[in-house]
Amino acid sequence: MRWSILFFFLSWRFSVTAAVEEYREELTLRPLVDGKLAAHFSFSTLLRSAVPRDPSSLGTDDTSQHYTLFPLALGQILREHAIPEFHLTINSGKWDYDRWGHPGEPGVGSGAELWAWMGDGTAVQTSIDARWKALQNSLSGLFCASLGSMDALHTTSPANAFLPTGDLPRLLAPARDAYTLRHATLPAERVCTENLTPFLKLLPCPSRAGIAALLEPHRIFDADWHGLGVHVRWRADRGVQLTLTVQVVLDSVRTSTERRRDWTLESLFGRSLPRSCNVASSSVVLVTLPSDESAYTLSPEPHVSIEGTWSRTSDLNIVMKWPEEERFSYPLNIPPLSDLSVRRTLKGSSQTHGELSVVVRNNRPVPVRTHYLETMPWHVEFFLHTLTVTCGDRGVDCASLLTNMTYTPSRPHATPAQLLATLELPPHETLHLSLRVRKAFLRYTEHPPDAQRGWDLPPAVFVPFDAPHRRIYTPALLVDLATPDFSMPYNVIIMSSTLIALIFGSLFNMLIRRFVVIEVDVKVD
Amino acid sequence: MSGHSLKDPSTLLFQKQWIRRWIFGSYMALVLLGLPLWWRTTSIERLSLPTLRIDSLGGKELHLPLSVAIDAASTGTLSDSLVHRLRSTFESRKEQAPNLYSHLEFSVDSFQGAAPPDTYSVSLSEDAQFPIIQNKHLSVPIHQASKVPDLLISLLTPYETASPPGTFRHLVAKYSPRYRLSFTLLNEDAAAGKVVVGWDVAKMISRWIAPILEQTSELHNFTIESQIRFYAPLAFEPRILSNGEDMVHGLTQEHLKVFVNPAEWTLASGVSNDPVLHFVLFVPSDSHSPLRILNDASQPIFSDVFVLPQWGGIVLLNLPTDVPPKHHLTETELDHVFSSFQTQLRRLIGVSDLPPGVQSADPDRPLTDFQLDTLYRQRAFENAGSSKETLQSIIKLVHQIPNMPVGQDVRDDVRGALSALEVLYAGVWRVPASALQHSSRSLALASRAFFNPGMLALLYFPAEHKYAVYTPLFAPVAVPLVVTLLREVSAWRKDRREKRSAT
Repeated sequence: MRWSILFFFLSWRFSVTAAVEEYREELTLRPLVDGKLAAHFSFSTLLRSAVPRDPSSLGTDDTSQHYTLFPLALGQILREHAIPEFHLTINSGKWDYDRWGHPGEPGVGSGAELWAWMGDGTAVQTSIDARWKALQNSLSGLFCASLGSMDALHTTSPANAFLPTGDLPRLLAPARDAYTLRHATLPAERVCTENLTPFLKLLPCPSRAGIAALLEPHRIFDADWHGLGVHVRWRADRGVQLTLTVQVVLDSVRTSTERRRDWTLESLFGRSLPRSCNVASSSVVLVTLPSDESAYTLSPEPHVSIEGTWSRTSDLNIVMKWPEEERFSYPLNIPPLSDLSVRRTLKGSSQTHGELSVVVRNNRPVPVRTHYLETMPWHVEFFLHTLTVTCGDRGVDCASLLTNMTYTPSRPHATPAQLLATLELPPHETLHLSLRVRKAFLRYTEHPPDAQRGWDLPPAVFVPFDAPHRRIYTPALLVDLATPDFSMPYNVIIMSSTLIALIFGSLFNMLIRRFVVIEVDVKVD
Repeated sequence: MSGHSLKDPSTLLFQKQWIRRWIFGSYMALVLLGLPLWWRTTSIERLSLPTLRIDSLGGKELHLPLSVAIDAASTGTLSDSLVHRLRSTFESRKEQAPNLYSHLEFSVDSFQGAAPPDTYSVSLSEDAQFPIIQNKHLSVPIHQASKVPDLLISLLTPYETASPPGTFRHLVAKYSPRYRLSFTLLNEDAAAGKVVVGWDVAKMISRWIAPILEQTSELHNFTIESQIRFYAPLAFEPRILSNGEDMVHGLTQEHLKVFVNPAEWTLASGVSNDPVLHFVLFVPSDSHSPLRILNDASQPIFSDVFVLPQWGGIVLLNLPTDVPPKHHLTETELDHVFSSFQTQLRRLIGVSDLPPGVQSADPDRPLTDFQLDTLYRQRAFENAGSSKETLQSIIKLVHQIPNMPVGQDVRDDVRGALSALEVLYAGVWRVPASALQHSSRSLALASRAFFNPGMLALLYFPAEHKYAVYTPLFAPVAVPLVVTLLREVSAWRKDRREKRSAT
């Protein structure tokens, strides 16, 4: 495979003394086969040799926290709730795995997703559930997102599918079950400017210098797909690492008048890269070269050497052109770029029953083993005995390919159901899973304000065994539940009042009425 | 003949007059008995609050004795005149500011040998150069004997001596048992030239701030945190003053009031409700340096430090021109900054200054017992006052809004706050720290009751809704009852009239 990534350095520094805190920023630009461009911003701050707080120390006063590059607002949250690792992503749009391949950061499920690994506290107010709630509330406040509604109705613990990406510190207290995962998704949550503004404030160089200067809300939220991510992990040998990511898929064909896929930083983000962020240890722009055979030009000349200290003072505007192309023609057949192609649909027109159908295709020439995780709110109930697995188009029964199934049934009005299974996908094989479901009838107060819109169901997740970071999220589903007439309570009140009044009145009249025999003289002829 | 094949209905049991009246009476009784039950199950829980006890707090006063003892051995013949002059100085001070010092009960005496406990003792000394404070003892050089009354009164009742009067107290942050101290280094624009990338903040805090925190630990617990921000623009453009070749960017007094730019500076804390005291070291960008504070006559003043009342303190740091582009602030550069922060912290938590010329004998303890006791007394007095006000507001609010629920927890908090206040008012507190404990407990409970979310629950659900829901039931039921009642009454009156006319 040929070398297909080019580097542009805004600044690069090999620091002689390893500073306590270190900030690196990176932008990866990847032209896609359908003429779009995936941009992946990554801002990573390392708090060297810091250790996450032990949950047993939560009752006592914390030690003083002094940060230089690490954002204090986030540091406070981590210390206050003793969180060694958490991941928050808020995305908008549907990531097209087949055309765009795997994203730089795997969390691309639409809506908000939060998962955290937490050690068990000793007291009730520091229990995992209390801190999980507190973490959501703190993050909601910090990012202006309504994560607070990730209550028990949304929370599960699929520990096999979401393994910690870093290390977990040894707990001081003799906890029985050391670490626990909490995971929740809100598929209906949308990402917007009010989330990006506080997000940018966490960066050492917000919006004035460095790569973050390109994050112009009008361009970001105009993109076909956009998402924010906050990832905190701890590595025993390095320290606490915070990575803030922004991913966007921009369509330069749509915005250009000549329908060309040429792009420049200025055409994509409305400005070129200004001066570098002078507290960043490195700030790098990477351009992945397109794999198709069309001729392109790239300017300016990228830097490929990574020696010495280097800092850029003038503006950088990367330009990529396809000079021989008159206008971009969409390729008709794009071979899928991802390992798996997944399609998930909810069939059936009835408001009481339906059928969940999942079609998974292995695009690789080797067998793939993958976790299949399905989280369902309680109001969509699986009939597990109707689960069928068939292979290919002929409908051959392949139930043996689905193994290790664990199912946690939902509790009505309380917890969601969770189905975790292992799928063995033969090379280039398509698997059809189908499962009948029942849609529950909700209580009057359980409906959301926009009840007629339906309920968003969280995406299913496929986690390959050999590459857990290449998780695949299916698009979210919308389920239509029976909605009542919301003036119903008043009708019920009037109706039952009338009935009671009627019964009361007739009974009362019967008892109180005075019966008199009236003699009517009838003359019989 | 038309035989009476039908039974006469009036002979039926339930058609008898008295039985029908009984039936009707039982219906009425059932409805009348049911009404209170309905009323109780549909009404809001409003437990009664101890209104009378709270009202009776109105005229009460704290009793904080201030006993001063004069060492007769060292003062000799001056002793009696000192006692007399102290008393009159205190009386005049009390007259000047009756609402500030009315709770202090001043007494002065002279003693021989060891000083009595819980008193502030004064002696004259022949070898001292200046007045010295050691624990609760003030020793004044003999040639300054005439200044003793003023010194002592300034130490014990310092607030109105600050100049101009009243400025001191409005700086002081509202009392809270916990504070967050947030130290922030703000680079105005790191991308535009020189940037401060580090500071020895932990060492500086332990040198300048920690001793004060330790001494005031009876009053407050502190959480300390610090951060550096690299982009913190001002919300306004400073005034440019050119003075020959030098150009100075000036902050007018109006600018100081709007200096903090909350939209761009991320200083807020998201994890706790404790009040935050901010200490900001502001490094202006090249285009705004040197940045100086201007007086009313638009002239730069010497100081580059200012306090924002109840919010925190700000220090401006103009970097010298010869610093490297990435600068790490050293201890020597930070010493004056943190000494300013220390002064600002003392102001914000309400520590009074020593009168000019007076020194402490113990340099390791930055606050003397005189200052601490004064602070305890002042905070106890304030807390008692605001707790009383809070309780009165709760009563007033509950009285004004008939839909406001008052639950068990609110009542318990109010009672707890009230009994702590009553203990406080009943006692004579020779140790000011224990008065403070009761007062802060009372204040905490009273505020918790005041901000109890349960009190808002039904605020927006008027009683009319209740009637609207129940009218469809009550109206159709009431009509036959009322009609029957009228009919029975008229029948009974008719019966009586007939009987009377028969006799």
